[in-house]
Order: sequence, then structure tokens, then C-alpha cells
Amino acid sequence: MNKRFTKLSRRTFLAGATLLAAPTVLGARRAAAKSDSVTISNFGGSYQDASIKAVYDPFTQETGIKVNITPWPGLDKVKAMQLTGNIQMDVFIGSSNDSASGSKKGFWESLDPSLFDAPDMVIKPDSDYVTFETYAQGVAWDPAKYSQGKHPATFVEFFDMQRFPGRRSCPKKPGMLELALLADGVAAQDIYPLDLNRAFRKLDSIKSNIVWADNTPQTISLLQTGEVDFGISFNNRVKPTTEPGGGVPLAFSFEQCVIASDCLSILKGAPNKENAIKLISYYLRPEVQARFFNMVPLAPVSKMAATMLSPETRKWQPDSSKPNNLVVDAVYWVDKYDAVMRRFLEWTMT
Amino acid sequence: MNSTSSLRAQAIFMSPATMIAVAIVVPPLLYVLFTSIHGSALSLAEFDAVLTSSLFRNTLSNTLFVTGLSSLLSLLLGFIVALHLSRQPARRRRFLMILVLLPFWTSVLVKCFAFMVILGRDGIVNTVLSWAFQTKVQLPLVFNTVGLMVGMTNYLVPIVVLPVLASLLAIEPAVYRAASIMGAKQARMFWTITVPMSLPGVFAGLLSVVVLSLGAFIVPALLGGPQHMMLSNLVNFYNREVLDWPKACAISIVLCGTVIIFAAPLAFWRGRKV
Repeated sequence: MNKRFTKLSRRTFLAGATLLAAPTVLGARRAAAKSDSVTISNFGGSYQDASIKAVYDPFTQETGIKVNITPWPGLDKVKAMQLTGNIQMDVFIGSSNDSASGSKKGFWESLDPSLFDAPDMVIKPDSDYVTFETYAQGVAWDPAKYSQGKHPATFVEFFDMQRFPGRRSCPKKPGMLELALLADGVAAQDIYPLDLNRAFRKLDSIKSNIVWADNTPQTISLLQTGEVDFGISFNNRVKPTTEPGGGVPLAFSFEQCVIASDCLSILKGAPNKENAIKLISYYLRPEVQARFFNMVPLAPVSKMAATMLSPETRKWQPDSSKPNNLVVDAVYWVDKYDAVMRRFLEWTMT
Repeated sequence: MNSTSSLRAQAIFMSPATMIAVAIVVPPLLYVLFTSIHGSALSLAEFDAVLTSSLFRNTLSNTLFVTGLSSLLSLLLGFIVALHLSRQPARRRRFLMILVLLPFWTSVLVKCFAFMVILGRDGIVNTVLSWAFQTKVQLPLVFNTVGLMVGMTNYLVPIVVLPVLASLLAIEPAVYRAASIMGAKQARMFWTITVPMSLPGVFAGLLSVVVLSLGAFIVPALLGGPQHMMLSNLVNFYNREVLDWPKACAISIVLCGTVIIFAAPLAFWRGRKV
């Protein structure tokens, strides 16, 4: 009996201690979110270093608002924050697909259109998220193995097994469907809504020669190790291979690209909303954009910023106004992604 | 001290750790179950949608295939390694153990990228073979079942070696001496002494590798072919990409159930034997 009593009291003590400690821990987090700061997510790595140097540090200098960085959370974590009401960040950086999907689910605060200079922007701001950078998906290859004319440069050529035999790597994403339709001769302005049957038929024609890249770094490593002859990759991933320490230098074709973008949005219920608005409009200033995109191989959304970039940087940037380039329609994908991705995955498995 | 009182003493010392584990693990799992039946709506619609989809069925059958094959291969290889280690002098064994544990401590992601370099079309293996036969050899060793099994066994073998080795070392050497005095040959000693007495370790190892390979997703994604999609990949897809949490939860429950179906007999057998 005595023994049993000791055991129970230990339990009670532990449970009590946990309950007592919980508010202290939670309270500490709340206290950290003072109104002289703002918290933004970031993709990390060299991208984050450039963000600090070109955007966040000068922003703090100008406004006195401290910028905290949190690792990129993914839309699932944003949803969890909204569900629990424990909003731990203010500004979300995400792909246009994530941003449009979050917009439909009501994750973002609406943005005042007067914050932005819409005519200056390649992609217009939405009611609750704004595009700030673009990047290109296109054909990449190893120039030491395939010289001028020996490699595909457009999507039509990428799907041409007769002229350019060899293995291809493709990202395992339904974005390949847009590519397949472009390759099948559909004009960029007629792509949406996607003719799925036609796209899958076109993909069937090269399916046995495809090595699927499950993540973005693989689109580079498959080419660098000679596992595939040609691949679909991204301009901002190919450029670092041409720099010191980048491994086997690769080449990227700007002749035809699919242009995707990243956006900024403010979480609904963000603790530092005022500061978040200031940071977002700072991000979109042409001189800030020029400073940032001279450091990272992505393209600014501001047309004025594009003219301020160094010639070396501009060589690595897609031209959104080129007629055979396609700008991804994130709004189309919001409703279709689930069903199309399931069909796509099933198609890759068989 | 009789065994009942020692059990009670153990219970007292174990209870805080158990309570913390239960408090941390059980509520989220219950929440997963709750979400999978559509919250308070109590419907099996998500399970119905999941179980009737051919994507799910293909993925489930592939998951079982990968689990079965990689568990068997790892058990076979791991047993051989453990047997060899158990017959080494202690100092040599310590050195060899480091060789077993080194890959165990290395990140799976790093190992996968290393295997791509080794097994690739222009990889180390094919380059050496091409040189040896003086002709262009391009064996398909990666992005198929071969590459997947190399990756999976590399990941799982140390997990088999550790418990099997413990069982083998626990065998009293006098048993072998007695057997050989009675005139038993090597093969006979292996099948009547080594194998039965190593079974607790074998089952412990098997339990771990079955559970780990049912939940694996990095190795199949990086080294397997496109047909090698695992249930975990599907959970990730519904959870992170389309935010369809009820479906993700339903698949998790199915996966959890599969683990229990495989793990329960193994755990039960061990409980009775030990």
C-alpha cells in the first residue's frame, strides 16, 4: 500500500510540473514577438544570405525594424498555425502555387493595391499575395559532351527522340504536362485549361527514356554524373554549376522556358502586420530588387529593376515577354493540382 | 527477491518514462484517427476513397513488395555478418563493428547520392567493368529494383547485425564443446544450436527492419524506379502538397495497421519466448 502511494504521488508531481511549466514556455514565445520586429520565412542557404545582405539588413537600417528569419514552413505548417491560432510568423515566401492555394483557403491578409506600382510589374499583384521574383524551367545539358546543335534547346526538340537520342531527366511534377503540350505544338497562350489526354499522350512518347528527378537538386546531379544526357532543370540551379566549386559546369537554354514565380503574403492574424506590410513594399522597390537579383540568379518582377541589373546577371534571366515562353497559371492549378497530380503519379508508376 | 516484486520495482522506475512517452505519442495518434474519420462527422468516406483508388492500391502492393524483399535480404546479409563477427577475437570484432556502424551513422540522403555515383550509368562499377572487359558496359544498376535493394540493405543491415550478434555472443561456448564431443559436424551444430539460439535476436532485428522499411521513403524515391512509390510518399503528398489531411490520416492509419499486422506476431512470439 505504501509503495503504491509513492508511485501515485510521483505521477501527480510530474503531471503538475508539466502543467506549471507549459504557460512559462508558451509565454516566453509570445514575449519575443514585440512590435519592433517582423518574422519572415526563407528558403535558407545562399538564397537566405543574399536576402539578409540585400533586403533585410538595409530594411532594418532604414526603419529600425528587426527582421527575424524562420525556416521555410510549407503550407501545411501555415495551415496548422491557422488552425491553432498560434501564428509564429508574419510574412510567407512561397511558390505561386502555394500562394494561390493559400489564398483560396483564406490563409492570407488582403493587401492594399496602392502599396505596389502595378504597371512596373511583369506579373500583377493579387488581392492577397504579390509576385516578387520569377525563374525559368528549361532544357539543360553538359556542354562538354554536347556542343552547339547536338543538344535540344526547345521543348519540341527535347521530345524529339530521333534527332536527339538519349536519356532525359524530368522533375516528377505535373508541370511536365505544360511542357509536353508546348512540345506538341500548342501555343503558349492556348495552354490553359490543359488538354490532359493530349499531354499524357505526348509524355508517353518519351516515357521509357525518362529518369524522374524526385527533388530539385537531383535535376542537376543526374546531369553532372552523366546519368542522363539532357534534362529539364531551372536557371537558378544551373548557374551555380558554372561558378567555382559548382562541379561539372552545365548549360541552360533560354530559347524556350516555362516561367514560374515566388510570392510574398502576410499570414492572417500575423502578430506584426504593420511591419510586414512595410517589409513587403520594401521588397518590391526597384532598387532593392536590383540589389537582390544581382546576387541570386532569379529575375525581378519589377521591369525597372530588370534594367538596373548587371549585363552578366541578365544573361541568366528569362524573358517573360518572349511569345514562346509560358508563364505558369497558378490559379488554374489551385483547383486542379490534387486530381492531376494523382493521375500523374499513377501514370509514372505504370 | 521473487520475480513479481522485481517486476513491480521495474514498473516504478519505468513509469515516468512510460507516462511521458504515452503523453507525447498517444494524443497526436488519436488526433490522426479522429481526423481520418472526418472529425465528429464519424464517416468512413476517406477510407472508402483511399481504399478504392488504384493509386493507393498500387502503392500499397509496392510497399509490401519492397518491405518483404528488403527485410529478407537484410536478414540474410545481416546474419552472415553477425555470424562472422561472433567468431572473431574481441579486439578484431571491435574494429569490424566500427565498419558496420559507420554507414549506420551516415545520413541516408548522403548515402543515396553516393550510391548514384557508384551505381550510375557512367558510375564507378560500370567504369571498372568497361575497363576490365574493354567494351562499353552500362548495366542498369540504379533507378530500379537492384539499386533500391542495394540502398535498402545498406540502410537496414546494421539494424539486423546488432541484436543477432548479441544473441550469438550469449550462446554458452560449452554448448558447442558438448556438441562436438558428441560428434556433431559443423552443419549440424549450426542448425541445432546457432540458429535456434539466435532466434530472439533474429526476431528483434526482423521486427525493426519490417517497421523501418514499411515507413521508408527516401531510399525508394532516390534509388528506386518510378514504380517504387511507398505509402509514406502518398502520406507526404496528401499532407504537404494538397493539404488533404483527412486522406493523409486515413492512409497513415492503414500504414499503422499494416505495421501492427506484421509487428504484433513478432512481438508476441518474443514476449512468450523470452
